[in-house]
Amino acid sequence: MRLGFATGLRLLLHARGRFVGALGGIAMAVAIMFVEAELLLGIVDSQATVAQLLRGDLVAMNVSLTNLHKWNRLDEVRTQQIAAVDGVAHVTPIYEGAVGMRNLEDGRIRRIVVFAFPPDGLPIDIGDAAEIDGLLKRPDTVLFDRRSRPIYGAIAPGGDIEFESKLKLRVAGFVDIGPDIVNDGALVMSEGTWLARFGSDTPIMAAIDLVPGADREDVRRRILARLPVDVAVLTPAEAREREIVFTLRVAPVGVLFAIGMLAGLIIGSVSCYQILFNEVIDQQRQYATLKAIGGSDAFLRRLILTQAFVLSWIGFAAGGAVAWFFDASVARTTGLPLDLSGATAMLVLALAMAMCAGAGLLAVRSVTTSDPAALY
Amino acid sequence: MDNGNHRALDPSAAIAIEAVSYTFGSGSARKPVLFDLSLHLAGGEFVVVTGPSGAGKTTLLTLVGALRALQTGSIKVLGTELAGLDARGQLEIRRKTGFIFQDHNLFDALTSYQTLRLAMELGGRAVPKREALQRATDMLGELGMAQHLHARPRELSTGEKQRVAIARALVNNPSIILADEPTASLDRQSTDAVIGVLKNQARRSGAPIVMVTHDNRLFAMANRIITMADGRITAPS
Repeated sequence: MRLGFATGLRLLLHARGRFVGALGGIAMAVAIMFVEAELLLGIVDSQATVAQLLRGDLVAMNVSLTNLHKWNRLDEVRTQQIAAVDGVAHVTPIYEGAVGMRNLEDGRIRRIVVFAFPPDGLPIDIGDAAEIDGLLKRPDTVLFDRRSRPIYGAIAPGGDIEFESKLKLRVAGFVDIGPDIVNDGALVMSEGTWLARFGSDTPIMAAIDLVPGADREDVRRRILARLPVDVAVLTPAEAREREIVFTLRVAPVGVLFAIGMLAGLIIGSVSCYQILFNEVIDQQRQYATLKAIGGSDAFLRRLILTQAFVLSWIGFAAGGAVAWFFDASVARTTGLPLDLSGATAMLVLALAMAMCAGAGLLAVRSVTTSDPAALY
Repeated sequence: MDNGNHRALDPSAAIAIEAVSYTFGSGSARKPVLFDLSLHLAGGEFVVVTGPSGAGKTTLLTLVGALRALQTGSIKVLGTELAGLDARGQLEIRRKTGFIFQDHNLFDALTSYQTLRLAMELGGRAVPKREALQRATDMLGELGMAQHLHARPRELSTGEKQRVAIARALVNNPSIILADEPTASLDRQSTDAVIGVLKNQARRSGAPIVMVTHDNRLFAMANRIITMADGRITAPS
């Protein structure tokens, strides 16, 4: 077994020029798959930002709100109706919108996303709840997301920020949300400030806190029984899942990145197949000799698959390094956190191994079907 | 055989070929190459098979080595009937056979030692590294190749490569040896050395040697010379 592995490795590394060429193709494929996966996960994260930050026991939203960035709003009266249901302790409407904010250093207007809610019972996880509630209770104040991209100029507590409409609001402190592929930065303000300064609006959803000991499923059933059919009631996890599923399955962006990953897979498969097939064809008589002197098809398969897997592992390492440099470069220039997560790495490694194994199994057919009698 | 070679099947024969015919292709492309062939080889016997191209010598060799499936007749190798033998059974026969081909067919990537080690592994028994090294050194030494234990094929002459291929065939102490023009690329001295090693092997292990060759130098060394033409044995010695 070990000798089969060692022999496969020797056969692979012997034709160095061909090996390096194939490795380049596989590394490129791996890097493409990494970047596509990270961008896709980045998009998914950005689509589900609000859902991922939710703190309540349940969340209510318009049933036709297919994703959180489509503006099918929750009718305000529903929040009052939900609050009247037995087992509901507190309902917090959440507003989301985008405004133009002036960089006071260069005068340019930049888009920034705004989250707003009543300052009593923080519905999203963005920092210390008591401190944030206290700060938001001050009129005409905002909290700035300290992880925003550095495109809004210097922002400091006690200073003012200016909006496109020339409106100025005071920065009371910071929160932690982080930029994503869609949004460069975020502001948080109270429901009162949002409605008073940016006109009437309706919430995108409402976070529901239950009274201690209430059964979540019972309360959900009661809410749905009480309200018209225009409201969906989900747990925060379900809301996140709905966002991710929507992005992956329905939104074109999911399909686009899936096509990108497929392109990477094809490039890698072709590169891997090319080197393995050429190796087999160039040494067909040698492989047939192995068959003649007692090599079983399983042994020959192991010999070729060893080469395929080694290619995938080295290609994965090289492609991962390229992706790491890409991530660092993107993070430096955009602030986007494209992390090489363990799950992404495992996914790409599995894809790389599958693609090389597939190519190997195709190439091995010309070995297992070779006729050792033709050697004489 | 019909032409006087038919004898009663010797139950002690290492290789017993009985009424074997073989045809390539089918329909209008059908081409018979062996006709009702019978032949017995005793253990340790060195048999040279000669004859013109197309006589069926190589086909006979591939049938005895279980590289092809029998169509009609019977071949018993070391008591195992090859007719109707499944793939696993064929593999077992091949593992007991020392194959020497006209071309060396060595992997460029493997040293002589690695080639022999691989052959030992394919022989069906795991061999400890120390023992493998010793066996490879001894085998190559017998063929005058001890100094090339760690050489790759590109560092060897054609004759040296062929001797590594012969070592590969013999390193598992095979029960039968099938060779096709093994000395074609060897000089006189090397040929004598190789034949000496083959005969020693035959004497030690009782393995019969079937060698297809046109090399007249070898005829005097053989126990028996069989001449074939048109799929038949025309001149047994």
